[in-house]
Amino acid sequence: MSDSKYFATTKKGEIHEFKEDLRSLDKSKKKDAVKKVIAAMTVGKDVSMLFPDVVNCMQTDDLELKKLVYLYLINYAKTQPDLAIMGVNTFVKDSQDPNPLIRALAVRTMGCIRVDKITEYLCDPLQRCLKDDDPYVRKTAAVCVAKLYDINPELVEDRGFLDILKDLLADSNPMVVANAVASLAEIQEVSGKDVFQITSQSLFKLLRALNECTEWGQVFILDSLATYQPRDAKDAESIVERVSPRLQHANCAVVLSAVKVIMKQLDLIEDQTLVKTMHKKMAPPLVTLLSAESEIQYVALRNINLIVQKQPQILSHEVKVFFCKYNDPIYVKMEKLEIMIKLASERNIDQVLLEFKEYATEVDVDFVRKAVRAIGRCAVSLERAAERCINVLLELIQTKVNYVVQEAIIVIKDIFRRYPNRYESIIATLCENLDTLDEPEAKASMIWIIGEYAERIDNADELLEQFLEAFPEESSLVQLQLVTATVKLFLKKPTERPQQMIQLVLTYATQETDNPDLRDRAYVYWRLLSTDPEAAKAVVLAEKPVIADNSNSLEPSLLNTLLNNLSTLASVYHKPPEAFVSRTRLAVQRVDELQPTAFEEDVVSISNSDGNAGAAPSGKAESSAPAPDLLGDLLDLGGPAPAAAPAPAPAQTSNGNAGAAGGISDLLGGLGDLDMAGGVAAAPQPARYADPFAAPAPAAAPAPAAAPAVAPLPVLLPADKGKGLTISGQVGRQNGHIVYQLSFHNGSGTPLDGFMIQFNKNSFGLSPAAQNIDVPPLAPGAGGSAVVPLLQNPAMLSPVAANAGLQIAIRNNQQGVFYFNDVLPLTALLTEDGRIESSAFVSSWKTIPDANEANKALPVNLTNVEAVKAKLAAVNIFLMAHKQVPTTNEEVIYLTGRANTVGAPTQLLLELRFSKGTPGIKVFTKSNRPDLAPMLFDALPALLAL
Amino acid sequence: MISQFFILSPRGDTIITRDYLGNVPKGSSEVFFRKVKFWDGGGHDAPPVFNVDGVNYLHVKDGGVLLVATTRDNVSPSLVLELLKRIGGIIKDYCGLLSEEAVRKNFVLLYELLDEVIDYGYPQSSSSEALKELIRNEPTILKPSKSKLGSPFQIGKGPTGVIKSVLDTTRTDSGRRDEIFVDIVEKISCTFNASGYIQASQIDGAIQVKSYLAGNPAISLALNDNLAIGRRESVTPDYGGYGSPSDVVMLDDCNFHESVSLTRFETERTLELIPPDGEFALMNYRSTYDFKPPFRVYTTVEEDRDSSIKAVIFIKVRADFGSDKVASGLEVVIPMPKDVQRLSCEYENKDIKGGITQSWDWQEKAHRLVWKFNKVPGGTEHTLKVRATLEDGFNAALKRGVGPINLQFTIPMFCASRLNVRYLQIQKADKNYSPYRWVRYVTMSNSYVVRS
Repeated sequence: MSDSKYFATTKKGEIHEFKEDLRSLDKSKKKDAVKKVIAAMTVGKDVSMLFPDVVNCMQTDDLELKKLVYLYLINYAKTQPDLAIMGVNTFVKDSQDPNPLIRALAVRTMGCIRVDKITEYLCDPLQRCLKDDDPYVRKTAAVCVAKLYDINPELVEDRGFLDILKDLLADSNPMVVANAVASLAEIQEVSGKDVFQITSQSLFKLLRALNECTEWGQVFILDSLATYQPRDAKDAESIVERVSPRLQHANCAVVLSAVKVIMKQLDLIEDQTLVKTMHKKMAPPLVTLLSAESEIQYVALRNINLIVQKQPQILSHEVKVFFCKYNDPIYVKMEKLEIMIKLASERNIDQVLLEFKEYATEVDVDFVRKAVRAIGRCAVSLERAAERCINVLLELIQTKVNYVVQEAIIVIKDIFRRYPNRYESIIATLCENLDTLDEPEAKASMIWIIGEYAERIDNADELLEQFLEAFPEESSLVQLQLVTATVKLFLKKPTERPQQMIQLVLTYATQETDNPDLRDRAYVYWRLLSTDPEAAKAVVLAEKPVIADNSNSLEPSLLNTLLNNLSTLASVYHKPPEAFVSRTRLAVQRVDELQPTAFEEDVVSISNSDGNAGAAPSGKAESSAPAPDLLGDLLDLGGPAPAAAPAPAPAQTSNGNAGAAGGISDLLGGLGDLDMAGGVAAAPQPARYADPFAAPAPAAAPAPAAAPAVAPLPVLLPADKGKGLTISGQVGRQNGHIVYQLSFHNGSGTPLDGFMIQFNKNSFGLSPAAQNIDVPPLAPGAGGSAVVPLLQNPAMLSPVAANAGLQIAIRNNQQGVFYFNDVLPLTALLTEDGRIESSAFVSSWKTIPDANEANKALPVNLTNVEAVKAKLAAVNIFLMAHKQVPTTNEEVIYLTGRANTVGAPTQLLLELRFSKGTPGIKVFTKSNRPDLAPMLFDALPALLAL
Repeated sequence: MISQFFILSPRGDTIITRDYLGNVPKGSSEVFFRKVKFWDGGGHDAPPVFNVDGVNYLHVKDGGVLLVATTRDNVSPSLVLELLKRIGGIIKDYCGLLSEEAVRKNFVLLYELLDEVIDYGYPQSSSSEALKELIRNEPTILKPSKSKLGSPFQIGKGPTGVIKSVLDTTRTDSGRRDEIFVDIVEKISCTFNASGYIQASQIDGAIQVKSYLAGNPAISLALNDNLAIGRRESVTPDYGGYGSPSDVVMLDDCNFHESVSLTRFETERTLELIPPDGEFALMNYRSTYDFKPPFRVYTTVEEDRDSSIKAVIFIKVRADFGSDKVASGLEVVIPMPKDVQRLSCEYENKDIKGGITQSWDWQEKAHRLVWKFNKVPGGTEHTLKVRATLEDGFNAALKRGVGPINLQFTIPMFCASRLNVRYLQIQKADKNYSPYRWVRYVTMSNSYVVRS
């Protein structure tokens, strides 16, 4: 008899049938019924209405039946805790059953019921089970502590469960130890408290536990060890010694976590022989990871990519193992290729080139392209191998395979830039293939080559003319190159034909195009040529700085962050955890990623590492300039405020409200840290120097592949009103604080610095915590961003009825003050602790006078209700209940949120009514501040739309 | 940690789903499947780890189904993938095999197992042996009658010919059979260059054990005593006291199952353990030392004397292993030059004895020729004569276009690394206790490529 038959029942009235069977006295019939219910549950049917009937089956001696019932209970425990609590008496009873399986089952299931009421019943059984004689019960209870902590942290601390967990680290059973570690690590992460801080005393305990616990537990212990800061080199050495046997483990997760710990500790060890020995010891296990399944290989390769960027010598002899296998999936092949490039050296380049050449004849186009690029990158980074690389590229061009040729031309352009005047003899071969070029990047590269070497190509004018024919239809990348190449041609061979060409090109580029970059570049050339052709020559034909291959290597501070996160998802994505971990954790005291382009891992390009001739002087400009008093510029502030602007001291709360200064300055201290982190995250982005005259490197082109991962901030001050300065920004929440995310772009001709901000009085008393904006001086053309913490200050409260408007002033040392308006999104005010009891919701709804009720119909079509709930919860609007209105097909959702209004917070109560499939939704709201309703109605459509 | 776990059928139906933390929206399995199905426009395999809207999806493919975990945290991806793999193994141990049908037929048992394997998103017990005492449901074992199972060695890499649940050992009826299977499974990768020299080679091996011994007696397993483990780069190669490298079985690196005791390994190359029930890798190893490749391929291209637009291509395959062994199922995939428009083939030795059958298939779309054997005995040689019609006429560069040739094969009772089991001892005092003991060897191709 097989279980699949349970899936068969789909007829109507089955619920009724289930009910009958569940009440049956026949045990096997009952069991069958429960199985059917579980089958229905699996395929997504709602069988929650059977809850009372299923719970009735719970009191049985039949362990199999009992387990089935518990299975059902756990499934609904999370979504319908109010129902699950019905079984509580049986749980408590079961937690004292003589059978350890049942005791554990009861505790495990109770912990899954996420409702605070359960804690009353859970604590005592949990306390007993943590000290149970049976290890199976203890290990289940250990996890349950983490579950309870998530519901009620205070209770866990009050009952001393944390200490019991720490004692369990020394338990005799490996699984108990593992779960104690897991539980403590989880609590540490959600709470941000140092419940699991490793001290030199507990270190020994953990290292011993490492040998005693299960493989999974070992991973958790190793991950915790990775955060430990050893006291000295000796300390580090002993950790390395104790951890290194883990490198032999069959479980890849254990191996990778051990590598993480060792890599970190090795930084502190001075004994170079030991460091070398360890490097040698790490290589074979890392290579062994590549014998695992493709999925594991992929994770290993992404991690190895990071490791070889820091310590290439670890695997420098192993390049062969990264050669692609016939049956590797494409995601593995791509990663292997990347590592082969990183390990390529003069010693192994011949072997590596042979492989690349082989790959370039494979079937998969993306892989072939990457292989061709790889050859180019090796040429750029290994000077002595450059010629061999070029020969391979020429061979590949002979295959006449369209995309191979194009890719080869792109990389040859980079090779020319790296080794000027060395390999130009091959240009003739390249020119034979002009017809095959149909991709913008390849075309642009070829045009650059023609322009750059116009004097050595006899028919350069003819070749360029071919491209010029289609000038209006070309992409802007090609157009820009054509303009520059034609100018170069003209300067090098000022004959009649180039003169006609340049007339044509410049006329078109200045008059017919909508592209400002193209137009500007054409104008610059035009003026240069018409005023002083010699100067034009000096500028356009100037010697270009030599490039280096640093594409696909991460910027050092990001690399270090990622190495600290080895063997985590961050190391696979090559992004810092903040960039993708969405569960806001108090522990993470980092400002969220504001510069999404900081990791352009996919942009395969050779960056322009120019000497930065025309870039801004990064020093302070005119520090002696009188700092205008920003506060004085604002109307509503009373007395003259101190004019000491530049001091970024947190004490600067000169908002005319000295009374709250103590508390506020504490907060400011915290926010100051926050700001620093933001600064660090933003800093590594160097101002990109765009050379408008001869920008051949792809880096100068706005790489379209690096689409920003987050939506851009709305523009507050457009460039035409800001004398070239663009300010974008939005008020939002970060880690429980209200912040102003700002980003600047300096489109003016001068460097800008000394940014400060002030608010006018407003409906919510918002004002910046500090006047100085933590943004580096902006060179012309550069951008920067900052996160300004906002405080709520009664003195800043405007007495009129609530409105979302904000009036803001921002100044800088060069341009003076700009005024602009912004709209405060209500969501910025909603606090994380806005959840209330359902009883409180009901009573508030009754007690708040009806005059405070507002309603509005919104033209939103609610389809994916679950996703909307999640979206709302993410902005701190919490679900109270979701019901079907009886006898109609209308559904109602009750929600609540707490707005942090000055004086007392305002609890907002919400009711959404809608019918599935019919567009439109009706919103009712009640609160003590009816004037907030319009803001709420403004915010909702965006939140409800998916 | 892990928020959800689910098993999807090849068509994307959810057959098993379990939510541990409740912080990932319900539609995640559809989001996942759509993403995997249409990765890069549908042309490529999706990587095993990716992020959509803040949810991280990790998956492995096994037995035709997708095992998936979701999470919102910055977890250790190798831990999650290992766990998913392990869950696949547990299903095999309990249901006999992993397939959509097996999962559907045993879903209640699987839920019961899952509850023990993961709690609150954290991995718990992941050994089939330890789970046995917690499980109350009975498995439904599928009959291996289905033709798709084919040869026992084609499923996975282990000693999987046996479709049997670990719960079998707890039975007391007469149907029970105590037995232990020890398989030395080696996957070999070999790349030959155009002149026939080996460019790179590697053996990925494992000692796979599948144990059904009631009462779990201890066993000891003795390997070659001339086994040396170490790195190639070491200044003085350590051949373990054996003069020449040819006498020694050399491994680069190895690791062992956690149940293995290594006290007698250094001195006697003997592994001792109490094998848990079910299948596990007792030892994994890797070797990049030279070995004798079991197959050689030679290609020659000649101009057809009768026609200037035709070429004759000879593909010769030689089985370079002992005549007492027979490779089961050899498949030779030969990409053809672009110039080739049509072709027809002839077998050189048409009447070979011993029930060997061969076939060829011109796959025009992929532009390759596939040459298949049901079996190939050691020491034999086979040639395929291909007459190809060319677009541009014969030229000498044609030979470069024939390849790279890929071979797929399985050779039972053959061990490329020469690792062997000297003896397998089951330590049980009872004299009458003599369970079945199977020690088998098998070598399979992993990436066996002959470049042109």
